[in-house]
Order: sequence, then C-alpha cells, then structure tokens
Amino acid sequence: MTTKTEQQLFVGPITSHAFNGALDKLVVSDNSTSVYVYAKQSNGKWTKETELQKHIERVKCVDWAPNTNRISTCAGDRNAYVWNLNAETGVWEPSLVLLRIERAATYIRWSPAEDRFAVGSGARLLSVCFYDNEHDWWVSKHIKKPIRSTILCVDWHPSNHILAIGSCDFKCRIFSAALKETNDKPEISGWMPKLSKFSALLAEYETQGWVHSVKFSPSGDRLAWAAHDASINIVHMDSKDSVIRSLTPSLPLLSIIWASEGSVVCAGHDNYPSLYNINGDTLSAGTRLDVKEKKAGGGMSAMARFQQLDRTGADTKDSTLGTTHQNAIVELRVTATGGDGTCTQFSSVGMDGKMVLWNLDALASSIADLKI
Amino acid sequence: MAATLKPYLNAVRHTLEAAMCLENFYSQRVERHLKPEVEMRSSKEVLFAPLEICRNDREKVLIEGSINSLRMSIAIKQADEIEKILCHKFMRFMMMRAENFFILRRKPLEGYDISFLITNYHTEQMYKHKLIDFIMEFMTEIDKEISEMKLCLNGRGRVCAVEYLKMFSPTVEWNVSEE
Repeated sequence: MTTKTEQQLFVGPITSHAFNGALDKLVVSDNSTSVYVYAKQSNGKWTKETELQKHIERVKCVDWAPNTNRISTCAGDRNAYVWNLNAETGVWEPSLVLLRIERAATYIRWSPAEDRFAVGSGARLLSVCFYDNEHDWWVSKHIKKPIRSTILCVDWHPSNHILAIGSCDFKCRIFSAALKETNDKPEISGWMPKLSKFSALLAEYETQGWVHSVKFSPSGDRLAWAAHDASINIVHMDSKDSVIRSLTPSLPLLSIIWASEGSVVCAGHDNYPSLYNINGDTLSAGTRLDVKEKKAGGGMSAMARFQQLDRTGADTKDSTLGTTHQNAIVELRVTATGGDGTCTQFSSVGMDGKMVLWNLDALASSIADLKI
Repeated sequence: MAATLKPYLNAVRHTLEAAMCLENFYSQRVERHLKPEVEMRSSKEVLFAPLEICRNDREKVLIEGSINSLRMSIAIKQADEIEKILCHKFMRFMMMRAENFFILRRKPLEGYDISFLITNYHTEQMYKHKLIDFIMEFMTEIDKEISEMKLCLNGRGRVCAVEYLKMFSPTVEWNVSEE
C-alpha cells in the first residue's frame, strides 16, 4: 500500500475541503467564490463533477454532513448556505441560512447529529444554526460573550451540545450549545459539571498566539488546539486546569486532528504533517510523516550547471521544496478509521492546490518508531 | 565589519521565515474588506510587535508582521553625501516601478530607505522560501551596488575633470620667432 496519493487539484490555494460519508465525493473550495464537488474515479483520481456558485465573496470554509448528505459553505460575504441534493435532478440546491452577522463568516462545522451547524465569523460571534420547519430556512442563535476577536476554528463535542472555539484573541473557549428549540436534554459530563444553558462559558484557555485549530478527541474527553506560537496544547476534561503544552520547533501549525485517543497529527506552515503522542503529562517530539524520497540518479552535468548559472545566476535548478506540499497545509481531515477507532487515513489540502491522502498504516510500517 | 554581516543576515532570515506565515483574513472593522492588516493597523490583536534588527546605528531592518501581511523596511548604510544621493536615486528608481516588483512598497517608512509589503496573496502565488531568498540577496547586494556606483562615479568624475582642466594648464609651446 502506498504511503500517500497526491493530486494537484488547482493552480491556486485550496481553502477548505470535506468528504461525504462514502468517501467517493469531495467538496472543495479554491480561493474563489465557487465551490466544486469532485467525484472519485475508478483509477483513484478525483475529477470535477459540479460547481456550486452562489457566494459573491471568497468561500472560506466548507463542510459535508455525511449522514444527511448536506453540504454547508460559508464565505466572506457574511452568508452561509446549506446545499441539499435534489434526488431527481441530481442538482445541489442552496437553502437560506439567516446568520445575522455583520462581518465575514470564517468557519463552518456540522454537529455530530447533523441537526445544527456552527458558523464562526469576523463579527466576533458564533452562530449556531438549526432548521426552522415552519419557514423552511435555517435560523441562528449567537454566542457572543466573551469572544473578543475573529473566530478562526470551531469543533463540536460528540455529545452534540458542547463546542470549542478558537479565536484571534489568543483564547480557546468551550461553550454549551444546548438549544431549547431543538429540545436538547443535556447531561452532566466532564466538560459540563452542572447543566448550563446556551452560550454558557464552560472553560477558557489562554495561549500566546491566534488559535488556528481546535479538536475534541474521538471520545470527547480531551481537547487539543494549535496556536500561532507554534504550540500544541491538550487538556483532559477531568483535569481542566493542567494543560499539556508543547512548543514545537516548527513554524505555526494550522490544523490538528486526532489519530487516536492518545496521538494527534498536525500540519501547518512547515508543509508536512507530523504525529505527536501523549505520554502521561507530556507530548512526545513529533515524527515527521512526510519522508523525503531520495531521488535516483546524480545531479546535473557540468555543462548544464554552467548554463543554468549563465541563465539564472544560480547553479541549482530546483526551486521545489523537499516536502510533498509546496506551500502551507491548510486543513487536515480524518478520512478512514480502523476497527478500534484509530485513524488509518487522513487527507491534507494546502495553499499549493494539492490534495494528498496519507495512509497512516503504510506510514507506520515505513517510518521506524512511529506509534499511533 | 564583515563579522557582523552573517549573524545580521541570519537574524533577518529567521525573522522573515517566522513572520511570513500569512493567511487570508477578512477585516473585522469593515465588512467585505480584505486589506493588509499591517497597513490598516485597525485591530491590535492581529498585529505582531515590530522587530528592529540593527547591525550598527545606521544599518537596520524593521519587520512588522500581522496575520495577513508583512512589512519590512531597510535602512541602508550611507557613509557620505555621495552614497546618500546614490542610494536615494536608486531606491526611488525601483519604487517608482513598484508594480512590477509586486512586493515593493511605493513609499518607504519614515527613517528607512526602502520598504517591502508582502501579503498573503504573494505567499499564495509565489514560493515563500524564494521570496526570502530574494530579500536576503537584495540586502547583500545593495551595499555592493552602491559602492560600485560610487566608484564609477568617482572614476568618471576624475576623467571629466582631467580633460576639462587640460584646457587651462600652461601650454608647453616654444616661441619659434624668439630664436
């Protein structure tokens, strides 16, 4: 099994991507107002199937609800749309979402039960949107206090009524999102020791940089977030005050996902994903998952070298980097999980327009001492 | 003198590598606006603390970063009047053609000779490591270029002066009639 399969989808950057439940369709936004749905062909390559065009500013984030088969997109034009697939015509039709935000929408995520989604915005508030049957649109409720700056990332807890927000005011916060309108019956849990209503702040953590990515572990017991001070922070709900913090030697990380309950995969401006393991109170040094393949064959001939020196002033031709992604990795997604819930495959999209699918089990065998 | 050059350039390179981690960011102040935050300076939390790297009191670099843009200003060594004029003219020549340079700013910051403005668009379209290589090469070459221009200038000045003053030197012309 190959360690990774890559495909250059666009010339420009990919801002966001999401897979459907069966992993044969992909919704992806390039740095424009359109969103494209790609389908996987039998040879493993992804080809463009349809274009979803409704936004008038750049689409910042997309998400696909796997069970109800709905796509949600949000853009800088302060709008978000939920796209439903019309079974007869095969066309994706947008439906209205009343976000009521005054600035750009930056992040969108479906909840685990897919009855609601959260939209973060530059208006310093989060909109939790749920369906209103009466008027056939999606209405929102806002979480405002005490968020002081643009929201960069949101993640839902598996219980469907707790969410974590990372924002530009250097803080990672956990809120209760229990809605009366959808008849939520929240239970007391480690994150919510006493029943809290909507928008109650459950926990707040401070870092030294903008929080780029926040993720609950698959069970929901742990929360991990990556900040612009090149740190990875992990906290367990039973010991909310002790945060495991690891300052990585790399450039800031933009995306973090859980490979299992005790390990995270993260990637960012360093252009390669790396795996970190939780050992008790500490985070182990990350193993780089992007192993450079040694190029067979020697370098350039002397003649070619002088020609290059004459033409460009530098005697090495290669300006490509040694990593698979040639620019920052923007988003990671878990695409396949094994029997015990550990991630076996994840995808990464970058600002170089590439999408790469990484097979963790093949990587585990090829890289020595890689534990997941 | 040369001993300070390498650590100086190293420090600038590492700071640029860290500061060039840019991403798209819609303005928080005005809806639908996408402006370089380092120029707008509207929200304090998305700006970095400016960093000044000085080689000596005259040569320094100011790097101001933000979430979607980076501004780098260079103060070039100008030892005497001639170098000041040459530097000013050279920088002005480049800054007038700033569109073709993409990352150049049309006006330098107060107290500096040239400024670069790199936004997330530039890092999306161009290789980040190549942008840094370009700026580092610029910094190393600029001193050499100005010295070369000064030498040329002095050389030409000398040649012109000699030719001109030849007219006024006493002529070695013997009067034939005197004999």
